[in-house]
Amino acid sequence: MTTTADHQSLQSYARLAGALSLITMAAGISAEFLVVDAVIAPGDAVTTANNILTSEPLYRLGFAAKLIDYTFYLGVTALLYGLLKPVSKSLSLLAAAFSLAGTAVVASASLYYLAPLFLLGDAPYLAAFGPDQVQALAFLSHKLRAIGSNIAMVFFGIHLLFIGWLIAKSTFLPRILGMLSAVGGICFVLNSYTHFLSPPVAAQLFPYVFLPGVLAQASLALWLLVMGVNVSRWREQGANAERNELAET
Amino acid sequence: MTSENHAASPILKARIAGALYLIVIVAGIFAEIFVRGALIVSGDATTTANNILASEPLFRLGFAVDLVSVAAYVGVTAILYELLKPVSRTLALLGAFFGLAGSAIMAGNMINHLSPLSLLGDAGYLGAFEPDQLQALARVSLRLHSLGYNIAIVFFGLHLLFLGWLIFRSSFLPRILGVLLAIAALCFLTNNFVLFLAPALAAKIPPYAMLPSLIGEGSLALWLLMVGVNAEKWREQVGAGE
Repeated sequence: MTTTADHQSLQSYARLAGALSLITMAAGISAEFLVVDAVIAPGDAVTTANNILTSEPLYRLGFAAKLIDYTFYLGVTALLYGLLKPVSKSLSLLAAAFSLAGTAVVASASLYYLAPLFLLGDAPYLAAFGPDQVQALAFLSHKLRAIGSNIAMVFFGIHLLFIGWLIAKSTFLPRILGMLSAVGGICFVLNSYTHFLSPPVAAQLFPYVFLPGVLAQASLALWLLVMGVNVSRWREQGANAERNELAET
Repeated sequence: MTSENHAASPILKARIAGALYLIVIVAGIFAEIFVRGALIVSGDATTTANNILASEPLFRLGFAVDLVSVAAYVGVTAILYELLKPVSRTLALLGAFFGLAGSAIMAGNMINHLSPLSLLGDAGYLGAFEPDQLQALARVSLRLHSLGYNIAIVFFGLHLLFLGWLIFRSSFLPRILGVLLAIAALCFLTNNFVLFLAPALAAKIPPYAMLPSLIGEGSLALWLLMVGVNAEKWREQVGAGE
């Protein structure tokens, strides 16, 4: 009697993780490509400032989408921790810790997303600066936001690497999903590090190192949503892990 | 199959934690002393700006290495939580929270480390400011970085204090390591509160006053790496806890 209920709840955790993960991806990608890319004119502070002011509602919507991305990913993190714990408690904890740190970094860096709205606003005290100066400060704020998300992506990349390792070692999810996640995670770290060490190289490398991560996350999310996990194998691996832990003590 | 599922032994975990901790210390010292310490001239925005631009690769390397240090600390935090859980789950968790929060502050604060390069670059939009203004902004950014760094260290200090207590109460690690770690923690905390409350006084604290912190963290890292933990006593304490 409990087993059917347990089966269902485990499966619904997996599906929920998949659904939340898809929402974070949709929100994050649309904020980045439909809002940020549309508003920020590379190297042009004046156009960027005008764009932000003329499309302020869209710009704010982008911020809301980003917050949905970050907060929902905490849910994904906790669910993945629970789902992958039977494979290795230590490594799933490690994976969760990296995601938590990354989320804290990217969420606090998003203050630089909103700062341009204050800088470009009509507060009288801003008259202490020339219009071109506030525009430059607003543009700089976006640069800082980008640095913040690159820092956070190092932590998310390591998180994804551990998740990939755990999936590959699991008996209840396809190994290929794990390998994709691990490669995607390494790519995220690589992408950030080339940004830090050599921005011109990073610009050329970006599509090649960014896409694998997106592909990995999307395939994992879809698999979890549509297929879930193999419940009886999950149970088996969990029981084995418990037996080993008892044997160890 | 079963051996694959077998949880890594406490000794292996301890050694990995020790190796990561050593990376934290070495990478952190390299970035703080050999990169930032070498390039940043206190009170002189122009020289600092020139130094950064003249040694941009070194400045970027310092940033990259420092981020490795922070990421390694997340690993240390998680592994030490697991190792010390048998002593007290509650306190181990509390300690890990401080370690994780400190790491997030440290990593987020690193934006201020890289922003001088955006300010001192040759982007056209920066023409809205005079060169001395940009240099001053870059110097302010590094001041903010140093402030954020010290805020994070308060959290790391509390983390170390909990670790010290847990190690002291453990049966599987030498008590002296716990004492040394607690002293290291108190050094960090005292130094930083003096820094926040009376910066003029903090400037008079000689650099070697921070030596106990290095000794405490260094000896824990080396012990974990070379000796690990007493696995038998660790298992005993796990059994006793249950």
